[in-house]
Amino acid sequence: MSKYIIRRALGLIPTMLIIITVCFFLIRVAPGGPFSSEKKIPPQIMKNIEKKYHMDEPLIQQYGRYVVNVLRGDFGPSYKYKDYDVNYYIAQGLPKSLLLGTISILLAVLLGTAAGMFSALRQNTWVDYTWMSFAVVGISVPVFVLGPVLMYIFSIRLGWLPVAGWIDEHGLKALVLPVLALFYQYFATIARLSRASFLETIRSDYVRTAKAKGLKTSYIMMKHVLKGASLPVVSYLGPAFSGIITGSIVVEQIFRVPGLGRHFVQSAFNRDYTMIMGTVIVYSLILVIMNFLVDVLYGYLDPRISYS
Amino acid sequence: MSNTIKTDNNKMYNELNQPVKGVSLWLDAWRRLRKNKMAMGGLVVMIVYAAIALSAGLLPIYSFNQQVLDHQYLPPSSRSAGELLIEQKVELLSAFAAKEERELNKVELGQIEKLKERVATEKKVLLTGEEILVHQRVYHLGTDELGRDLLARIIYGGQVSIMIGLVGALASMFIGVVLGALSGYIGGRFDSIMMRFVDIMYSLPYMLLVIIMMAIFGKNILNLFFALAVVSWLTVCRVVRGQIMSLKNSEFVEAARASGASTRRIVFKHLIPNTMSVIVVYTTLRVPAFIMLEAFLSFLGLGVQAPYASWGVLIHDGVYAMTTYPWMLWYPATVMTLFLFSMNFLGDGLRDALDPQSKNKL
Repeated sequence: MSKYIIRRALGLIPTMLIIITVCFFLIRVAPGGPFSSEKKIPPQIMKNIEKKYHMDEPLIQQYGRYVVNVLRGDFGPSYKYKDYDVNYYIAQGLPKSLLLGTISILLAVLLGTAAGMFSALRQNTWVDYTWMSFAVVGISVPVFVLGPVLMYIFSIRLGWLPVAGWIDEHGLKALVLPVLALFYQYFATIARLSRASFLETIRSDYVRTAKAKGLKTSYIMMKHVLKGASLPVVSYLGPAFSGIITGSIVVEQIFRVPGLGRHFVQSAFNRDYTMIMGTVIVYSLILVIMNFLVDVLYGYLDPRISYS
Repeated sequence: MSNTIKTDNNKMYNELNQPVKGVSLWLDAWRRLRKNKMAMGGLVVMIVYAAIALSAGLLPIYSFNQQVLDHQYLPPSSRSAGELLIEQKVELLSAFAAKEERELNKVELGQIEKLKERVATEKKVLLTGEEILVHQRVYHLGTDELGRDLLARIIYGGQVSIMIGLVGALASMFIGVVLGALSGYIGGRFDSIMMRFVDIMYSLPYMLLVIIMMAIFGKNILNLFFALAVVSWLTVCRVVRGQIMSLKNSEFVEAARASGASTRRIVFKHLIPNTMSVIVVYTTLRVPAFIMLEAFLSFLGLGVQAPYASWGVLIHDGVYAMTTYPWMLWYPATVMTLFLFSMNFLGDGLRDALDPQSKNKL
């Protein structure tokens, strides 16, 4: 097992390198650049600008320079915002995005599993129907519909919560709507998944044996069912993480959260090469590390899987 | 087929000894699908949407890009735009007058009369070339910031969205099935190279790549298709490969081979139909995913560009206007959500109906 973990962890390095390489060249092959604007810049000045950012060098050399810098933890200067470098913007935005994403995924997993469990235990009762109708709505309503609708109802009409902004202005209230919008779809999927898998596990032979031994229901649920039934949920976590990341980009747009997602979209529009690369690398790093942890957790939960 | 027993007079019974007609996979699935009320409801909604989207040109609706700047932000109503304009003017002037605690004065009454006259007579040449009394137009779902009819924009936007969903799903299905079947059937080195490639593609954060591609290579529909197709065939490929590999060595294929069936017969009569159900279900479930993806990009301003609309574009516009003109959000959002709902139910129903385990069971 530990051998597998080490090998899998080392596998993250080439993955990240591939991501960096693909992104780097994808961005560079397109015509135009961060300095091509409406206003015509005299060629001499253009040359100086390009020289300053090493853009007059061959692409391969630029790539090598960039990779070395990234390994040192330096994402370079922003091409659009002259005053700060990319590290500054990432340090500004990342904590906010991380907070939003972490709360959402934790709530989705905890509430989703709980909803699935109660629905399975009370199958075909009103408890089941209530939770599952919540889940069906969640699966079909995309985040960019849910966000504005929530905002309209709770902020504009009822005025209970701030329309937009972040904790520094509004306190914890500012988190409620973004988290709701972001977590709902994943809560819904997890609730449906875990309901199905709880139902299956409850009927399995080893749970029947446990019941026949006269164990208490709560004990069986915690000791036997929960572990077995959580497998599909764990394997869904990978897609959920990447969904939360893309979802947070939209949620940050809607609720004006000054997080990483807004920098990412803005930089894609601006052709701010280093900024795009920086945000993509940070997002990808989070994603591959999460997927790695999910794989390890999966192996720990399911002893039938052998890693050799 | 495994749970059907054939008797000598060619009648078939399932394992519960109920007589069953020999039916094709699809007829059997259709019988089961018909029993699923939610899925049938979804199917009906889908057909209605498809009919409206296909016949959009024939319907008595306005053009989706005809701007009438006098008709900005008119609320949904079955009365003509002219009546609404007059009503708005009277309301506004009366409010002023009420504030000053007086009746409407001569100047104001004159203004209203003038507007009434304008409404009754003003003509405008439309983009189509015909000249109409412009204030006679009726906007059942209201208008947007450029005075365009929201109903027409939702219908034509639906056309674009549904087309993107279908084309995207079909393209990704085609690439995925071909590569997946090849990979599964040929096996060996080709298979391992393919799967390595798929693994690498999987590890890329593809939504981020799509966003970058759209932002950098230009925001037209062709690029959108390309970007979506590049990233979306992976799962189909894996699923089909897995199916083909597991079926390749299964008993019924062996039995077919033992009774002398040709390779072609095995592939077309046994392997493909058995993977087909998975493919159909997956494609159905992909359609809403693609529509959501397109809407997601449009929401960020990277999808379909003006003057064309898609549901994502309309929702995006609606968000900015919702404080004062909430209908601009509600109608497109409802239309799109209903569509996604029905697609999801239909996909779930198809999955249950095409499940080979339930063959010949009612």
